[in-house]
Amino acid sequence: MRQFSDYNPAAVAVWFFSVTGIAMFCSYPPLTAITALGGILFYLLGAGFSHGKTHLFFGMLFLVLALANPLISHNGVTVLFVLNHNPVTLEALLYGINSAAMIVGVLYWFRSFTRIMTSEKLLYLTGMLTPKLSLVLSMALRFVPLLRRQSEKIHDSQLALGLYREDNMPDLIKGKMREFSILITWALENGITTADSMTARGYGIRHRSTYRRFRFQAGDILLLGVTAVLLGICAYVIHRGAFAFAFYPAVTMQPPGYLAVCGLLSYAVLVLLPFGIEMEVGIRWRSLLSHM
Amino acid sequence: MAFLALSHVSFTYPQAGNAVLRDVSFSLEKGEFAALCGVTGSGKSTLLRMLKRELTPLGTLEGSRIFRDTPLESLDDLTAASAVGFVMQQPEQQIVTDKVWHELAFGLENLGLSQGEMARRIAETASYFGIGDWFERPVSTLSGGQKQLLNLASILVMQPEVLLLDEPTAQLDPIAASEFLTTLRRLNEDLGLTILIAEHRLEELVPLCSRMLVMQEGRIAADGAPAGLIQKIRDVPGMLEAMPAACRIHAALSDEPDSPLTVRDGRHFIESHYPNTIRSLPAEKKTIPEEAALTFENVWFRYDRHSPDILRGMELHVRCGEIFCILGGNGSGKSTTLRAAAGLLRPYQGTIRIFGKKLREYRNQTLYKECLAMLPQDVQTVFLMDTVREELEACHADPGMLPFDLSDILEQHPYDLSGGQQQMAALAKVLATDPKLLLLDEPTKGMDAGAKQQFTAALRQLQECGVTVVIVTHDVEFAAACADRCAMCFGGQIVSAEAPEHFFSEHMFYTTAVSRMTRGYFDHVIHAEQAVRLCQMNGGRSCS
Repeated sequence: MRQFSDYNPAAVAVWFFSVTGIAMFCSYPPLTAITALGGILFYLLGAGFSHGKTHLFFGMLFLVLALANPLISHNGVTVLFVLNHNPVTLEALLYGINSAAMIVGVLYWFRSFTRIMTSEKLLYLTGMLTPKLSLVLSMALRFVPLLRRQSEKIHDSQLALGLYREDNMPDLIKGKMREFSILITWALENGITTADSMTARGYGIRHRSTYRRFRFQAGDILLLGVTAVLLGICAYVIHRGAFAFAFYPAVTMQPPGYLAVCGLLSYAVLVLLPFGIEMEVGIRWRSLLSHM
Repeated sequence: MAFLALSHVSFTYPQAGNAVLRDVSFSLEKGEFAALCGVTGSGKSTLLRMLKRELTPLGTLEGSRIFRDTPLESLDDLTAASAVGFVMQQPEQQIVTDKVWHELAFGLENLGLSQGEMARRIAETASYFGIGDWFERPVSTLSGGQKQLLNLASILVMQPEVLLLDEPTAQLDPIAASEFLTTLRRLNEDLGLTILIAEHRLEELVPLCSRMLVMQEGRIAADGAPAGLIQKIRDVPGMLEAMPAACRIHAALSDEPDSPLTVRDGRHFIESHYPNTIRSLPAEKKTIPEEAALTFENVWFRYDRHSPDILRGMELHVRCGEIFCILGGNGSGKSTTLRAAAGLLRPYQGTIRIFGKKLREYRNQTLYKECLAMLPQDVQTVFLMDTVREELEACHADPGMLPFDLSDILEQHPYDLSGGQQQMAALAKVLATDPKLLLLDEPTKGMDAGAKQQFTAALRQLQECGVTVVIVTHDVEFAAACADRCAMCFGGQIVSAEAPEHFFSEHMFYTTAVSRMTRGYFDHVIHAEQAVRLCQMNGGRSCS
């Protein structure tokens, strides 16, 4: 019994890229609607209702993107009004809304993805591809806070040593350059210690293995399988052209056929998979708690 | 038959005239806990690196190195890497990866072990070292002591048979250091692990170890059990000063071979050999002007709007021309106090005055011109040139005008210097701005006993020239030796501030070894020299 974010990172990543991949590869308004709504719901599921600023930002972004298209593109047959001798058309506006919804939806998905995929899980994923890259990434992740802290220390000590003569621009720039040079020297000199520590612990004597903290369980395989099947259906539907939709010159939409409905349904199920998992976990917990 | 041995080993670095090691021979039995001591530059680190094949530096090596009856050179890679563990001085730089669990796994990954084996060893080691609570954390959030413990654990997870340690506690505060040494003791007793540790800080190590190897100029000058070794090392310069206080007192008063090592034994030695008819030394009166160099009036500070207060109504009054030591545990706010005094942090309430003028009124860097200078804890943040000479020239410092001698390190790279020398070179740079108020943050980190004495002497000289010195330190013995007044910092406030004789004789835990040794028998005695003088004044008791 695991929450969705506790599933094996590989399974989660495959699921995630299926959802966003399909969304990015077709421009079919019903599908875009599912993407955007699903993205927002999934974000709320993970982060709760507290991130007002994020929502405000994404809302503004949606407006800007949606309104930018009719101002730039003047295709389409239904003229709403004329602005600076340029026609603003209904088709361009709809197209703008559709792509803005897609982009914002996918951004919401990515936001959730970075929240679920901690550095540890990303390292696990890269480790499955190549162990060396994974080690390099891990070392880099250690170096970022280390260098930031050291550079603050260097700044403070240089300041308190009275090495800045005046509060003026040239002195400030000279000082910053000096601090940078100290930081580099420090990093190189201390890199030797790190290298020693690696050799002392047998780095490079034989083929490295990778310690994996995530295992494949039945649930992960199930998630992978279901994702693959649903992805396959969607891909088939896209391949057959059932998700075709044209905005220009006039909005033309075939009445959704059997295939398109099938495709939409499978995509919806794909998007809703984590909600299903969370709900199942919730129900099970409730029943377990009632027995405690 | 030898477990770990060097026989007739000499070593010369490339392009160096003199050999660093000269005809060194010794052997360690399985399960021994040996301390390797000697002044800075006597070849301790090089000797340790001879015993770890992967870390042996380039150079001319003569003699043979044996591990489990096999020459070190012909060991297979796997054994050489895992059976001999090596812990270095710097807690931060030895760490390779970003997460605690990954650091533990790193060595095992290198050995190419299977998942199950790795999981088992990591779980077991993490439990033994009590790492469970911070297993998931990024290494950047650990304290220095935790980092060094992690370094030890990530060696132990590879199940070594010998552990070599190169000054592992030099960068730690005393509490973390003694925890680290206790852990080593436990490893030695529980697992029969063979340990060879190079160390400056002998006060606590000597009573723990079963054997001491003393190095002098690349040779082993003395070798044996600590209690019987004291008489042999009298002739090794700089060695006796580094020994525990009980040893120093014993060595100054008696010629008997067996020396007390711990506070308890030292106390017994004094009480059984000397009466206490005279209980204290005549007090020396020191006059220090009341004029203030640095004052804090009700200063409050926190790092972030939502974080807790670090300074809570700090009141501090440092007089002109005194050496003032602030002691206290980790997180007590003593470093923050110093950084606030240097104008690096801005308190949200209260006033800080430097020589009577408000800190805020020093504009346009005037604070740092001929007024105040601060030497940071990490002196490597100070150096930017290739040699000490260039370093001094860059800030217009004249090596001839300094109160101490730097002439023999002028041509060296600052990073190649020992901890004590780095501190001296950094001090020379600081003095170039001609400060009247000098702030020092943990200056004795990584210094050996000799360097500490030199540093104290340099501070005394500066004091003669009218410089006020404020020192934040964990080093109780150093504070007792150099301070005019000591203060205890706790919970963001100064709890007490007094002359060291009173300060340390009133404290029970936070005090010098000699004070603990003579408490209730003599009054106001905090140094070994004072104890020795008092014993001599009282005269020997006929042996009972």
